[in-house]
Amino acid sequence: MTPPLAHVGHWAINLLYVAPLFIAVAVLGYQAMKDRRRLKREGDDVRSPPPPPAAS
Amino acid sequence: MHRRRLLALLIVAAGLLAVVAPEAALAHGFGGRQTLPIPKWLFGWAAAVVLVASFVGLAVLWPKPRLERPAERRVAGIPQILDPLAGLIGVAIFVLVVYAGFAGNQTTTNNLVPTVVFYLFWVGLAIASPIFGDLFKALNPWRATARAVGWIGGRVSRGGLPTPMAYPTKLGRWPAAIGILAFAWVELVYPDRGDPSNLAVLALAYAAVQFVGMSLYGSETWNRYGDGFGVFYGMLARISPLRWAREGLFVRRPLSGLTTLDIVPGTVALLCVIIGTTSFDGFSAGPAWSTIVDGLIDFWRSVGFPQGTALELSMTVGLVVSVLIVAGLYRLGVLGMQSIDPRDTTPTNEVAGRFVHSLVPIGLAYVIAHYFSALGDEGQRIFYLISDPLGTGANIFGTSTATVDYTWIGANAIWYVQVAALVIGHVAGLVLAHDRALVSFRDGRTATRSQYWMLAVMIAFTSLGLWLLSAANS
Repeated sequence: MTPPLAHVGHWAINLLYVAPLFIAVAVLGYQAMKDRRRLKREGDDVRSPPPPPAAS
Repeated sequence: MHRRRLLALLIVAAGLLAVVAPEAALAHGFGGRQTLPIPKWLFGWAAAVVLVASFVGLAVLWPKPRLERPAERRVAGIPQILDPLAGLIGVAIFVLVVYAGFAGNQTTTNNLVPTVVFYLFWVGLAIASPIFGDLFKALNPWRATARAVGWIGGRVSRGGLPTPMAYPTKLGRWPAAIGILAFAWVELVYPDRGDPSNLAVLALAYAAVQFVGMSLYGSETWNRYGDGFGVFYGMLARISPLRWAREGLFVRRPLSGLTTLDIVPGTVALLCVIIGTTSFDGFSAGPAWSTIVDGLIDFWRSVGFPQGTALELSMTVGLVVSVLIVAGLYRLGVLGMQSIDPRDTTPTNEVAGRFVHSLVPIGLAYVIAHYFSALGDEGQRIFYLISDPLGTGANIFGTSTATVDYTWIGANAIWYVQVAALVIGHVAGLVLAHDRALVSFRDGRTATRSQYWMLAVMIAFTSLGLWLLSAANS
């Protein structure tokens, strides 16, 4: 039986073609998560405005 | 500091892989005739960088839709005789092809039919349409015949011809998608695809289906939705800056014609069929497929099919699965887009249709990348076949001794054209999707965020395309 490691070069090369996609998805996913958090924060800010300063 | 270190590590890792990768390939006899300065996978990385840069450029420099309301300008009139004349030429070519198929030499390379059908018609027209506009509509032999019959029938019959039936909305472009899938099956799976008489029979069968469709729903409606070739070349022609109409020749921005593509069922399916079947053509030439196909053939043989049928069934499965994978990738991109705005309750199919025009330049890119060198090589046969279309030894124009020059383009140049076609096609797809997002989402920021997913889809298609091409060339 051929040891699977003998073909590791081919698999590594195949993976290299997919690598940009993995990197892009990871970066875009992170960015999308950040955007969602920011929007949620902004939404919370709009829904619950800070209480007016207490009259002194 | 931490990021810099990470970046440096990545660069060093990429450099090491660049050094190691060609060694691994050479150890197994790969390398071919290409002598590229960098490993092929690095082209994939470069293409991804170009796409990301284009995405950022669009987000910053393209804040308002520019293609959605296409303005066009009439530049010339068209003589009324041109349309029937072009139709007559189309009918003459069709008749010659069918006649050559039945009456000519039955060797693939000595008969006009395989070269005309698979190279000049399928690939040649696909490349010519985005440049010169919808040439096929004018040359379409089935449409020209139907129009001629309609014209004569209208004059001969007393009460005029009956009005065509209303085209079912649900049918959309599904007949076209099925027609192109059937053509791809013949091209990639059918074992007798090189047999001229079989091709002539199939051409007549396709024509018969077109005549039935046109007689039921009218020639223009069927040409727009039902005729696979009419629909596909018509879509590609929308990329062109030229639009031919009865009123004259119009000039418009390239790509802008795609924004007026009507969204009907089957449009996404048709484009996934184009991209998926072309992908399968590349994949089936690579080493990964040879491993899979052996297992599939064993399975079909174990249930009682002979070797030949088992191979056909396996190829058919591969063809259909390739289309489904492409459709799945696009669907993922659309679902991702929808997740950006939870308040948007538009059905997924509608969003998929809204952005489907961005797949048209990708379909073209795949066709060019996979077939342009074949068109350049095998298409040269037309020089001797035009003098001897039946392969009987005739020499009508004195070119019957012409030969095919396979050295007209180098292996490196082919690779560069393939990479350029894929990158330009996907950037064009990004431009169209971004422009549509600007009118589909409530503000520019949401539009840009929605396109994160389209960017990922474009990078996926580019990586897939380059991987398939590199596998096919290895």
